[in-house]
Amino acid sequence: MIKRWWNSRTARKFRQNRLAVVALFVISIYIALAFVLMLGGFISLETSDQRIGSQVLPGFLGTVLPQKRLDNALDFIDDVDRALNNRDPEQALGELTIGFRSVAKLPQPELRKLVDQGFEKYDHLAPILDELADSSQVTTGQLSDETATELTELEGIVDQLWPPPTGWQATKEGLALVFGTDRQGRSISMRAVYSVKVAIQVGVVTAFISVLIGSVLGTAAAFFGGVVDHVVTWLYTTFASIPNLVLLVLLAHMFTESQFENTLVPVYVAFCLTFWIGPCRVIRGETLKLKELEYIQAATAIGFSRPYIMVKHIIPNAAHLMLINFSLLFIGAIKSEVILSFLGLGVKRGPSWGIMIKQSGQEVVNGFFWQIGTATGFMFVLVLAFNILSDALQDVFDPKHV
Amino acid sequence: MWAYLFRRLAYNMPVYLGVILLVMAALRVNDPVYAYLGKNVTEEQIEARRESMGLKEPFLAQYAVMVKQIATLDFDTMSWRQQGTTVGELMSKAIWPSLALTVPALILTSVISICVSIIAAFFRGRTIDRSLVVIAVLGMSISFLVYIIVGQYFGAYLLNEKLNTEIFAIHGYKSGILNWPRYCLLPVLISVIVAMGYDTRFYRAVMVEESNRDYITTAKAKGASRQKIMFVHMLKNAMIPIVTRISITLPFLIVGSILLEVYFGIPGMGQALISAVTNQDFPVVQAFTAVFAGLYILTNLMTDVMYALLDPRVRLS
Repeated sequence: MIKRWWNSRTARKFRQNRLAVVALFVISIYIALAFVLMLGGFISLETSDQRIGSQVLPGFLGTVLPQKRLDNALDFIDDVDRALNNRDPEQALGELTIGFRSVAKLPQPELRKLVDQGFEKYDHLAPILDELADSSQVTTGQLSDETATELTELEGIVDQLWPPPTGWQATKEGLALVFGTDRQGRSISMRAVYSVKVAIQVGVVTAFISVLIGSVLGTAAAFFGGVVDHVVTWLYTTFASIPNLVLLVLLAHMFTESQFENTLVPVYVAFCLTFWIGPCRVIRGETLKLKELEYIQAATAIGFSRPYIMVKHIIPNAAHLMLINFSLLFIGAIKSEVILSFLGLGVKRGPSWGIMIKQSGQEVVNGFFWQIGTATGFMFVLVLAFNILSDALQDVFDPKHV
Repeated sequence: MWAYLFRRLAYNMPVYLGVILLVMAALRVNDPVYAYLGKNVTEEQIEARRESMGLKEPFLAQYAVMVKQIATLDFDTMSWRQQGTTVGELMSKAIWPSLALTVPALILTSVISICVSIIAAFFRGRTIDRSLVVIAVLGMSISFLVYIIVGQYFGAYLLNEKLNTEIFAIHGYKSGILNWPRYCLLPVLISVIVAMGYDTRFYRAVMVEESNRDYITTAKAKGASRQKIMFVHMLKNAMIPIVTRISITLPFLIVGSILLEVYFGIPGMGQALISAVTNQDFPVVQAFTAVFAGLYILTNLMTDVMYALLDPRVRLS
């Protein structure tokens, strides 16, 4: 059967479209990644929320400016200083970790000495940088040699306090820092990858349920006609008469202060109740058309029951529309998630591309594009792949469609 | 014509009544008074609030009040958060900034994307056409929000910094035609750019389909110039799908205006709705969603009228 499908006209036509095959491949990678994440691999919700370095660190392409390097060093030294001043320094130092690094296993007086050295260097360097005009824009090349070496020495002290990880851990740290960090010092790449899970979850669940509701109501309305048709038509015109976002906001608002508030349930419900209209309308139209065709009339004449005809003849012949609608709704869900999250009604716990884009608003004002760029990039690839896929599906199944 | 219009109206009435029913029911799933007052209030306060809002009446009585308010356009319920203002006052204040944003955006988007799509159809299959299609697909894959954030940065922050004057305001709104470019032009431009991706692709497909029709061949054979065929013959016949498309873009426009209003601090309907939602301001949420839906149905009605004007056959069916 698989072989027959593989050689069918539609499958062959689809395979001819190289771009669509690539798109399908990209989508499967995303879905596989989401599955691994769902099973608890790679990144958990907690690690994506952890601080792994200093704040707003640029990613692999950016060069860290001296002012930023100085601040970073101070951040790291400050943490050790605070732990040393704790009532129980031993324990505080043991608990202190930033991302993949923890404090060097040195005796406390030695740590204290390093911290003091670090502060001394900082106190010396800070005024020098401050005196330079437009200090936040100065590059390392513009510094005098003396200052540059001193800055490197300061970073050497930080490395002594926080020994850089080795081997596999070093690779992991490199990957976590590849797109930099956000305003809370969390890894942007980790958050973006974790968001794949959220996006695929929201996309698959809402697209699947919406298409299911839409197809059941659509086929039933067209096939049985009469009262059923009137009710369904009235229902979808009613839902369609509320602008999409207003309906989403209204439905998401329904769940505030309820027990589902911190889960994805409000998002699912809002999306499903909004998105079922499209497939319902399309599939109702298609069924109306199919119903008049001769083979359906023949099946009725032979004496098959109506549910049998519906399941055996009508649904398979409208299935391509369900597939196309699924992929269109997937895009809609991912894009709407961003908008809802921005309005504070979407994903509440953990990262998502919407939350990341929302948070990046304040960073962009300061000219920091890593977070918005990464989230958009991840989303762009997935949405583009789905756009290409749905175009290809439309070409294959429904060539006359405009 | 009048009979047709009346028929459409009669068809939309039960739909709108259904919308109001849906909105009111959805807002009562979760007790609005409880959500607004929080957990640390006495039973009496909750009861008093419920009494004043008429929430203790049977649902049908509340429904009748709401329908009456909408029919007479007299929203005299008090807002919960903004003491001393009625919902109607809030609405009449908010509607003008929203219109200042959406109407120019709609007109600009339609005109520009129709022109671009005619260009694409004119050069069908050539580099210009292909690159336009690719740009449209790529542009569609980026979130609206990213356009807003990046557009605000480059259009307002960076430009102002480079030129040392404020051409576009970063945030805020002032009414008046002279203030319009400063506060509204940038949001309108952003929304035009976003909508272009969707519209151009669709209009191009319409134009390409029209250009394969027989009457175009006839016009060519008759010796009409290419420009005349494009703008006179084709555009006129493509008007029906274009009008449909404009009515389809309206909800997108509303979405866009809500986001733009929130982000650029324009005190329109969308911003009022969103802040009412976050503040649990129940009467405002209820009235605003109902009015949003009403406006939406009205525009759809206008599209129907446009159809009838463009294509006399529609009136009869």
